Amino acid sequence: MTKNGKAGRGPSRRSVLKGSLMTASLAGVGAFYGPWHHNRAYAQSKKPIKLGLTNDAGGQFGNSGQDEHRAIRMVIDEWNARGGVLGRKIEWVTADTESSPAAGTRVAERFITREDCPILIGALHSGVANAITQVANKYGTIFLNTNSSAPSEAGENCSRIKFVWDGNGTNFSKAAVANAVKSIGKNWLLLTNDYVWGHSTAAATKALVEANGGKIIDNLLVPQNTRDFTSYLLKIQQIKPQVVGTAIAGDDNKALREQITQLKLDSAGGPAWINNQQDWPDVWGSPQSLFGVFGTTWYHKLDLPGVPEFVKKWQDANKNGPIPVPGNVSYNGYMATQELFRAMERAGSTNNIAIIKALEGHKMSAKDRMQHFDAYIDPVTHQVQQTIYLCRKNTKPVDNTDHFEIMSWAEPKDVLDDAAPTKCKLVPYDKVPSVDA
Amino acid sequence: MFDLLPHLLNGLVLGLLLALIALGFMLIVGLMEQINLAHGSLFALGAYLALALTGPKPPLPADLAALWLQVPIGWRYGIALIVAPCLAGIVGIAVEFCMRRTYGKDPLYGLLLTFGVALVLEEILRLTWGTRDHVLPIPQSMSGGFIFADLIWSTYRFYAAGMAAIAIGLVWLLIEKTPYGAMIKAGAHDSEMVRALGVNLSKLRLGVFVLGTMLAAFAGIVVAPIWGIRPHMGVDAVVPAFLIIVLGGIGSFWGAVIASLLVGLAVGVSGAYASEWSLLSMYLLLVAVISFRARGLFGKKSVLEV
Amino acid sequence: MTGTSSDARLITPTMLGTWLVLATVPLWISAVGLYPYIGVEIVIWSIYALAFNLLLGTSGLPSFGHGAFFGVGAYAFGLTQFNIAANIWVSLAGALLAGAFAGLLVGLFIAHRRGIYFALMTIAFGQIFWTISVKWHSVTGGEDGLLNIARLPVNLGVVSFDITDNDALYYFVLAVFAVVVVLLWRLVNSPYGRILSAIRQSEVRTAHLGYNVWLYKLSVIVLSAAFSGFAGGLFAMAQRSAFPDVMNLAQSGLIVMMTLVGGGLVSFWGPVIGVIVFLIARDVIGAATNAWMLYFGTMFVLLVLFRPEGIAGTAKLIAERWRSRSATPAVLSSETRSG
Repeated sequence: MTKNGKAGRGPSRRSVLKGSLMTASLAGVGAFYGPWHHNRAYAQSKKPIKLGLTNDAGGQFGNSGQDEHRAIRMVIDEWNARGGVLGRKIEWVTADTESSPAAGTRVAERFITREDCPILIGALHSGVANAITQVANKYGTIFLNTNSSAPSEAGENCSRIKFVWDGNGTNFSKAAVANAVKSIGKNWLLLTNDYVWGHSTAAATKALVEANGGKIIDNLLVPQNTRDFTSYLLKIQQIKPQVVGTAIAGDDNKALREQITQLKLDSAGGPAWINNQQDWPDVWGSPQSLFGVFGTTWYHKLDLPGVPEFVKKWQDANKNGPIPVPGNVSYNGYMATQELFRAMERAGSTNNIAIIKALEGHKMSAKDRMQHFDAYIDPVTHQVQQTIYLCRKNTKPVDNTDHFEIMSWAEPKDVLDDAAPTKCKLVPYDKVPSVDA
Repeated sequence: MFDLLPHLLNGLVLGLLLALIALGFMLIVGLMEQINLAHGSLFALGAYLALALTGPKPPLPADLAALWLQVPIGWRYGIALIVAPCLAGIVGIAVEFCMRRTYGKDPLYGLLLTFGVALVLEEILRLTWGTRDHVLPIPQSMSGGFIFADLIWSTYRFYAAGMAAIAIGLVWLLIEKTPYGAMIKAGAHDSEMVRALGVNLSKLRLGVFVLGTMLAAFAGIVVAPIWGIRPHMGVDAVVPAFLIIVLGGIGSFWGAVIASLLVGLAVGVSGAYASEWSLLSMYLLLVAVISFRARGLFGKKSVLEV
Repeated sequence: MTGTSSDARLITPTMLGTWLVLATVPLWISAVGLYPYIGVEIVIWSIYALAFNLLLGTSGLPSFGHGAFFGVGAYAFGLTQFNIAANIWVSLAGALLAGAFAGLLVGLFIAHRRGIYFALMTIAFGQIFWTISVKWHSVTGGEDGLLNIARLPVNLGVVSFDITDNDALYYFVLAVFAVVVVLLWRLVNSPYGRILSAIRQSEVRTAHLGYNVWLYKLSVIVLSAAFSGFAGGLFAMAQRSAFPDVMNLAQSGLIVMMTLVGGGLVSFWGPVIGVIVFLIARDVIGAATNAWMLYFGTMFVLLVLFRPEGIAGTAKLIAERWRSRSATPAVLSSETRSG
């Protein structure tokens, strides 16, 4: 816990929490406070466990935030139907984190101190993820970063209480680059978003290109919020690289996709494009504009046992949703929440350190995760090391959701981010404030 | 030098698009002395309305919708280009009716009112069409690329720039070459005189505001196939529009157009030769210009300054 | 009018009352369904709103890019802490000075402007600062933010308080708030403040009276930016990090919205009322629906249309009517600034 020291004027957090629990039991006050999705009729023998779902609803990542939200809710419903976790019902609260770090901080503070949530789940934007981590660190609250794929999340910004479930830019570069240098060409040009994620992804790509005998002939830095890429596309045509490696994110990437496919720059004659990860909720808006080779952690038409059943289950739970099939964002949210519940059962406890220890180094079978290779939670960086799929636009779709053609898949050990462990320093367990639900 | 030419051409095209985006905003700020912060949301509204008209799910009864979808996309697109701004114009009428309460007061109130309208409009777009991205379908003949000077160019961008140029020309004709334009301009600076001449000032203001709204919506439709459609797309549009108006000088039509072309050239050329500075270049341009010309390139002293 | 008697005082009864009520907040905030951090946020944003209102309400200068100064202060707090000295006073001074410097820089360009020109220019400058904060990642951390900013101990020479706990931090920012309120109150009610009011009513007339309007406007921009930066520094400490998002256009609009909702145009305390109403409403409506902006935006539009003088102004109007019913009719002057 925080050292209260000489200040000692305000009540400590524990007593505040007790106070708020007492008041919460006063039904009148609870009712005043609005329509939280509680089920107070549940068997009252054991206190429910309340999760805080920090999902974006507004702003740049609102669409993906709600997609992971649906999957997290699904897992909660499934476990509650089976009698909860450790015999306790799971409840949840959510609030819009607005794709904004200031909102992330506020929502995290609210969920931890007012709602008494022992665990927070959900993040898309690295700034929001960091803001939530800062709060969670202070209280020792476990935070599952479901979908923010900045390499820094498992590097310099890692944390003992944070677990990262998505593959990151380095993983995708590793899966794609060596192959592309050998099969397509040695002259590369990088098109990079001018911010931390772009730079670290570009650096990883550059190192891999050079290690495989290729060379970077230029790196065009693209400011964030660029909506018009024509000057870059003209420049690329003038420079004539064989391969263009892009690290462009968010709305910028959607605009880039539109503009490249409209020009048909991705077809024969032009350079080959190595794209970073494409999130399914973004793809669903404009599938016709997919281009080049890109990565993902999961696809709803993977030819693996369990996949069709999972898709069916997801569709039953999300009828009339904006997106008809689950994609990587929903998948990461589902897997993260499910592994959390299993870890709690394995630990036989809701104590944060016990759960963290149950998650660290945990191995997950390929069959269980519906991927091609076994995965594990890296005990040093807290990132899930998993199968990375390389895809391209599907020219022979079997139905109107079949937008990806899976070209190949890479084993976790082959796409490991070697630099991350040297950057990530986890604090010792005894430095983490103890939390119990 | 030869390498530079494509980038100059691209800069000009981009400048025309920016001018189109700024046009409606410029009219309202220049002729009504009101900052319309809802400009971006109206821009987005235009794109969404066009999407509703051309997209795969028109908001019509099933058989009518099926009939409508039989119409070739070229026609549907053309109709949307005219009908969607008119629908947005109706929203503009409603906003202007609200704004009437702020006339004669501090212009700050108009600014705040439109800020509130922007928040509400964006949320309505989100609730109606969802948070996901959409693509505005365009006719086959307008999409794709063509080869010029050994480079592939986007066909649609040139159509878009053409539409922008036409809109700019029409607005110029309206304010400079018709009696309405003279009245509008007089009304902005001397409402007493306009009243004395027997012109209905409130109708004049309504007309200007609705025209500004329709231009914002039109810009949204034209730019949507390049930028994509999403609820917060308006934010991307307003910022360049603000910059261009300050740069060109408030109340100057050609100031805004020339500022747009300058910003387009700055962003386009720096994109090719100093790529990471491309967006910042328009800010640097602004600071450079207002250091020497405090009212922007062609700004005149406004009646509200004293 | 009634306000004048309290103007000369250093501390008014309203101030004392406000401090006392705010001082009891940690005792009951959890009981009413809120949480300590929102209390911290309310106090910090109140400082920010009061600083902002120095421009909007006192001087009639509508800044729509004020987030820039708040954000600059936030980064400065972190950077001072990391690079100069890990001392809370040094870091807060860094935030204040950085805000003042940014204000001076912007003020040199915009101090001779007013009205919509002023508003548009501040929007443009706000965007410049936002863009720089995103782009200059070696200093600001870009989108990832400037992380691991510590809540430094409050060192008072003989004793040192730890403020890592939200309640302790709350009392610290409240104490700072009290000092800022006294300073700003003195400023607004000083001869300097009265000249600012005169400038709000007519720049030309003030200039004819022989005052250097430009210098007064520049100085108030610097002061407002300095206190905004100071608030930003406190915010970085509360959030333990600094991000570009507080500098964007929407966030800059929110501070205008809060100030106006509360009635900053007619009352010194208006901005504080606005911050309290806005932050609590956002929390309560936001808990119920993700579309909270729809409701809040609609309420705001209605307020601008029908009660542009805001909550404080409306309350004052009701009070005046109440009084006029029992006594002789009084004319409400918007110039009154009651303590």
